[in-house]
Amino acid sequence: MSSPALGSARRPWLLLAPTLAVIGILLLWPMVRVVVLSFQDFGLRELVRGGAEIVGLQNYRDILTDERLWRVALPNTVVFALVCVVLTVAVGTLVALLLHRLSPGWRTLVMMAVMAAWAIPAVTGTYVWVYLFDARAGFLTGVLGQLGLVDVATQNLFTERGWFYAIATLNVVHHGFPFVAVTVLAGLVTIPSELPEAAMIDGANAWQRFRHITVPMLKPVFAIVTILSTIWDFKVFTQIYLMPGGDGSNREVLNLGTWSYITAMSQNQFGLGAAIAVLLTILLLAITAVYLRTLFKEEEL
Amino acid sequence: MRRLLGRGGLVLASVVVVVFSIFPVFVMIGTALDPAANAGGRGVIPSGISFEHFGRVLSQTRFPDYLLNSLIVAVVTVVASGLLALFAAVAVARFRFSGRTKILMMILIVQMVPMEALVIPLFLQAKTLGLLNSLLGLSVVYIAFSLSFAIWTLRGFVAAVPVELEEAAYLDGASWWQMFWKVLFPLVAPGLVAVSVFSFILAWNEFIFALTFMADDDMYTAAVGLRTFFTRGGTDWGAVMAASTIITVPVMIFFVAVQSRLSSGLMSGATKG
Repeated sequence: MSSPALGSARRPWLLLAPTLAVIGILLLWPMVRVVVLSFQDFGLRELVRGGAEIVGLQNYRDILTDERLWRVALPNTVVFALVCVVLTVAVGTLVALLLHRLSPGWRTLVMMAVMAAWAIPAVTGTYVWVYLFDARAGFLTGVLGQLGLVDVATQNLFTERGWFYAIATLNVVHHGFPFVAVTVLAGLVTIPSELPEAAMIDGANAWQRFRHITVPMLKPVFAIVTILSTIWDFKVFTQIYLMPGGDGSNREVLNLGTWSYITAMSQNQFGLGAAIAVLLTILLLAITAVYLRTLFKEEEL
Repeated sequence: MRRLLGRGGLVLASVVVVVFSIFPVFVMIGTALDPAANAGGRGVIPSGISFEHFGRVLSQTRFPDYLLNSLIVAVVTVVASGLLALFAAVAVARFRFSGRTKILMMILIVQMVPMEALVIPLFLQAKTLGLLNSLLGLSVVYIAFSLSFAIWTLRGFVAAVPVELEEAAYLDGASWWQMFWKVLFPLVAPGLVAVSVFSFILAWNEFIFALTFMADDDMYTAAVGLRTFFTRGGTDWGAVMAASTIITVPVMIFFVAVQSRLSSGLMSGATKG
């Protein structure tokens, strides 16, 4: 494609130079730095004076032997993420199937509402859910009280780990399903309508058509939305941190993201915090790799 | 046609989805307008309509300063990342050079790096460089995190511009830079709009870096500044919701603006070219 008029061999590198500098300094170097930090004893003294002692695997040993990892942070991260991913993909897919069946007028209307759910920033969305579940005046606390699920007079839902994460799940699923719905819908419109019609003539019911036509044809789409949702839901930070107690004041609701942040930023244990961040990233990479492998394996068959 | 749901079922399902989707936005705006927002009721229907919370937030608090900070950070991010990404996109779409594929892959892979994992090293780096409590320091981080998507999107737009148009410009005696500004730039403008919306929303909504970098409350962005309405004496929910509405409205407008693009083929749009 390159024509001689396009100039010297140096031009593409000149054009790329600012981008490569930004990526190198702000993404690649910090990636190296966070790994190095995780092997260092880096506290307030090192922050002020510079220089840090290498302590080998001490930070990792501290974390892996901390019962807070196994009892609190890991379950709060993994179970929460799995529930969120399943619910987000299920709700998003159901909404996509609904949108696909609607007439253009209705579809535009529902799509606008779904966009509103997508557009609400994580920060403001979280505050709205906190307001709705407020112990003294929350509307949804009141509804739960009416249903007999909560004792409105004495209970504060945010102090209980189960309720805390149920509310966070509602928040994350509400914020995440529009992406799944829009992406799956974009896939649904590519399926030739002859296929489900032929299946219907052969007597397939709606579930069978979904299971044997839609799912196989949209497998790459489902893979993408599942991988992206998994990555997002494992590293949820803002939605947890902004809930009452999520900023570290309630140790029972820490997840890996908030634990790493609070360890580094509030307790000035930057090495330890970095080690937690590295563990979280390794967990993410491992899960993505497993997904991709199963995906490509099935492709070969 | 045999149907899973009848017409009534479809309408009911649509209503459920619409109500669930807009419920938080409805509550946010409703509470912002409700003069009794801080009275401690359990309702979600406003008791009246009043703009007193908006008035208070905009005239008696620091929130307007926080909005301005957010706006400056977002504009710097949009302009700088758009420009850098356009340069890079032209390089990878218009030139063949050794290492081109490797660079494209590298740009794709760095997009996978979670922002949250880099907050600790970037905080230490920014501290060393004196970039804490600086709008520029925060913008630079957002530029880095928005570049990858911007380059991959713009690459498709640049590739779609016919090379003949460039050659015609050279025949008219234009230099490469003149061609770039007069021919390429206007033709990829729609792509620039799309990536600008993306990086604006990223910078406008971001929380963790804004929280970490801005210790000085003069420098809060709007998203972080909401915390100032939560005090020991209680929460000024009317102010929280009025300020949240002000933060959310520009994002909603952008989403509606790009809605047709998003719904008419997120995938095809992103991989075009």
